[in-house]
Amino acid sequence: MSAALAVPRRLPPAALLAGGAIVLGFIVLALLGPWLAPYDPTRFAVRLRFTPPSLAHPFGTDEFGRDVFSRVLAGARYSLAMGFGATGLSLLFGVPLGLIAAIRRGAVETAIMRGTDLLISLPPILLGLLILAVTQPGLGKTILAVGIVYTPILVRLTRAVALGVLAEDFVLAARARGESDVSILVREVAPNALAPIIVEAGLRVTFAILLGSALSFLGLGPQPPSSEWGLMIAESREFIAQAPWIGLAPGFALCALLMSVNLFGEGLRAWLDPRAHG
Amino acid sequence: MAEPLFSIDGLSVGYRTPRGLLRALDEVSLSVPRGGALGLVGESGSGKSTVVMAALGLLAPSARVTARGARFDGADLLAAAPSLRGRRIGVVFQDPAAALNPALPVGLQVIEAALLHRPAPRAALLERAAGLLGELGIARPHDVLAAYPHQLSGGMKQRALIAAALLPEPDLLLLDEPTTALDVTVEAQILDKLAALQAARGLSMLLVSHNLGVVDRLCDTVAVLYAGRLVESGPTAAVLATPQHPYTRALLAARPGPARTRLVPIPGNLPDLTVADPGCNFRPRCPLAEAACAAPQALTLRADGRAVRCRRAGVVADTPLPAEAVADARTVQSAPLLEGRGLVRSFRRGGWFAPRSTVHAVADVSVAIGRGEVLGLVGESGSGKSTLGRLLLRLEPAEGGTLAFDGQAVPAAPAAAFRRRAQIVLQNPDTSLNPRQRIGTILRRPLARFGLPAGTEQVAALLAMVRLPADYASRFPHQLSGGEKQRVGIARALASRPDFVVCDEAVSALDVSVQAAVLNLLADLRAATGVALLFISHDIGVVAHIADRIAVMYRGRIVEEGPAAEVLRPPFHPYTEALLSAVPVVGAGDRVARIRLAGEPDAPAPPGGCPFAPRCPRRIGEICDAQAPPWRTPSSGHRIACHLPLDG
Repeated sequence: MSAALAVPRRLPPAALLAGGAIVLGFIVLALLGPWLAPYDPTRFAVRLRFTPPSLAHPFGTDEFGRDVFSRVLAGARYSLAMGFGATGLSLLFGVPLGLIAAIRRGAVETAIMRGTDLLISLPPILLGLLILAVTQPGLGKTILAVGIVYTPILVRLTRAVALGVLAEDFVLAARARGESDVSILVREVAPNALAPIIVEAGLRVTFAILLGSALSFLGLGPQPPSSEWGLMIAESREFIAQAPWIGLAPGFALCALLMSVNLFGEGLRAWLDPRAHG
Repeated sequence: MAEPLFSIDGLSVGYRTPRGLLRALDEVSLSVPRGGALGLVGESGSGKSTVVMAALGLLAPSARVTARGARFDGADLLAAAPSLRGRRIGVVFQDPAAALNPALPVGLQVIEAALLHRPAPRAALLERAAGLLGELGIARPHDVLAAYPHQLSGGMKQRALIAAALLPEPDLLLLDEPTTALDVTVEAQILDKLAALQAARGLSMLLVSHNLGVVDRLCDTVAVLYAGRLVESGPTAAVLATPQHPYTRALLAARPGPARTRLVPIPGNLPDLTVADPGCNFRPRCPLAEAACAAPQALTLRADGRAVRCRRAGVVADTPLPAEAVADARTVQSAPLLEGRGLVRSFRRGGWFAPRSTVHAVADVSVAIGRGEVLGLVGESGSGKSTLGRLLLRLEPAEGGTLAFDGQAVPAAPAAAFRRRAQIVLQNPDTSLNPRQRIGTILRRPLARFGLPAGTEQVAALLAMVRLPADYASRFPHQLSGGEKQRVGIARALASRPDFVVCDEAVSALDVSVQAAVLNLLADLRAATGVALLFISHDIGVVAHIADRIAVMYRGRIVEEGPAAEVLRPPFHPYTEALLSAVPVVGAGDRVARIRLAGEPDAPAPPGGCPFAPRCPRRIGEICDAQAPPWRTPSSGHRIACHLPLDG
């Protein structure tokens, strides 16, 4: 049904447009956050500690009197960077490995796939902890850790899709021309395998954001005074009874971002997957 | 005349589409008399399966169905279809593998319909099912009933499904391409049994098929459907002997056979069914069309029971089709272009938990092809013919044997020079072209790969060579018809000017009219370029038409090989003889002796003996099981692997 590179001629579904619009909104907020923020997100104002939400401070202030709204705005970039950065990394590692495993049956495939199995057998959070425990924490490290955690899933998916394409007759015709493995992967396999991989990656962004925030919550992400949302939630725990807004604001922001990314991913799946259209 | 058991009168079926109403059936009228058999013939897209679905009341809810009348045994068919199907109207579909639930034993599925409609104790039903399977030629019916679908061959499954349809004792049996998915020897057995059952039980049948030979074998009347309209009907023998409608005649003329005349393809494609055409809808493809054909054509009933929808019907018989002899440039030089010796390829089954076994797909096969020669390779599914084709191109690793091309040994990983000179055309036009690439990209690639000029000009020349317009270069494969895609596949294979091309079932997926055009094209290209072909097909008619020499494969071995004319006439290998006699031939009647093979194509062969021995109708005795058959040479270049003496 679809013609050129994975873009069907039908209109994209509403979920894709709505999800895309909200995600785009978050990206704009993340980029412009420092200028949009009414206050400096790291400036202490001891007299204004634990101010409840008001017109001056829409999300209230925290234990140091910092404006929570400004902090949430400034934190958006961390979550987005972790979600898209880690997914990008896992695509970067996973897709080539999956393609190689598909075309090089035998020892290479076994090595890649058993390594993948090893990584997949560990719970993601534990694996993330393991990677971060041996290095200094920071945003870059968190992205790397989440990217590595989600690589095996993309290796498996890519290999499965590529194996299906490799069994097609046009690949046999390419082999009859004596095409190299690289040429077969690039010209014949990749264009036909991309659609399901992109869809999966779109849905993976959600998990990456969540895992990144969880690692930050455990203190293994960006360090204070940064306003990464997971870190903000962790820091707000002590004051949950007296000032619930400190934790709720980043919590709701995270929730909204996750839902819109998920909406976007599901919309992408519906759009690109011809089977979803009977 | 008594009222027919089943009749539809003026049945129209339409579907709403974004481009307008699609008329799948346009005022189709048919009837099946009690105890009679009607064959419904047409190519893909003719609407023949829609007739079956309408008769069963199983059309999609979006279908718009109108009919002047549709009756089954006096009742209104369209209203009563849900209560009739399965009970009084039995049905068998094309693909037996898809029709059986893999998770349930076959026996349960055979008695299912009967259990629902004519309640009886299970044991009694199973007993009757076993009896039916016995009638259908299954040796141990109880084992088949206890088996799961994956344990049975395609022919067994289809017989089980026929038994399932017959068990509730229907009055009418609908058969929708019942043998199309099966090997020709199995098809022949099933057609025989169906003919016997029909005679014995007075069963009425509606047989839908694209194969005129199958219809001729079973049906006393035939109706020809073209693009949703009935164009001709009448007694089968008369219609097939003297077709009155140009389409019927063209269908018959397009079938390949041993005659060395050029096939007459039907030009053009099916009309767009969303465009209303009150006139003759075959007009654009008809050699006899004239201006008046644009007026509505009525189906004219004649005194002899025949009906034709063509105002020029009288002229059809008087206008002979062009009978052009094919140029016989079939000189074979002494040094072969390609020679494989002792090629072996096996596949291992089983593993960790299942017993390991080795299946020899190709077992010690030697084959040679001369320059510009067409070697036809025939055999049933699983005979190893495709594997042999791939071994000869080094697309699969051989476990033994040598391959020489143009006097040079070909290594396991051949150089680009060999790849340029040895190419392949594949069976399925839908999967042989990359759906994400434009036709221009597809055709440019082999040129660029082998360092040939790869400009727009060269692509246009390739398209012209396979008779496609130059602007197809900017299209995607899904915008082409099956025949057009297959032409692109041929152009891609010939782009690098190869000396040898393997055509692996290259025309098997095409309708007969399109198949004729592609076969003609291959014959022309071969004459123009001097390319040698290995033409692999399960259809001995196609091979007989195109090949200079024929090799017959059975279970990984070549059992007979020689010049086409010699292979097609006695002395035969018993397997070749059975293959030839199994093909349903139009107008064969009872003239030919019917040789039927017992058992299934995958019957295990004794190690060391003749692979065909377990099924051979002319088996001599112990020697066949114990000793490999010797090569007998009845004439120069013709060899037969058989223990039978040649004069026997």
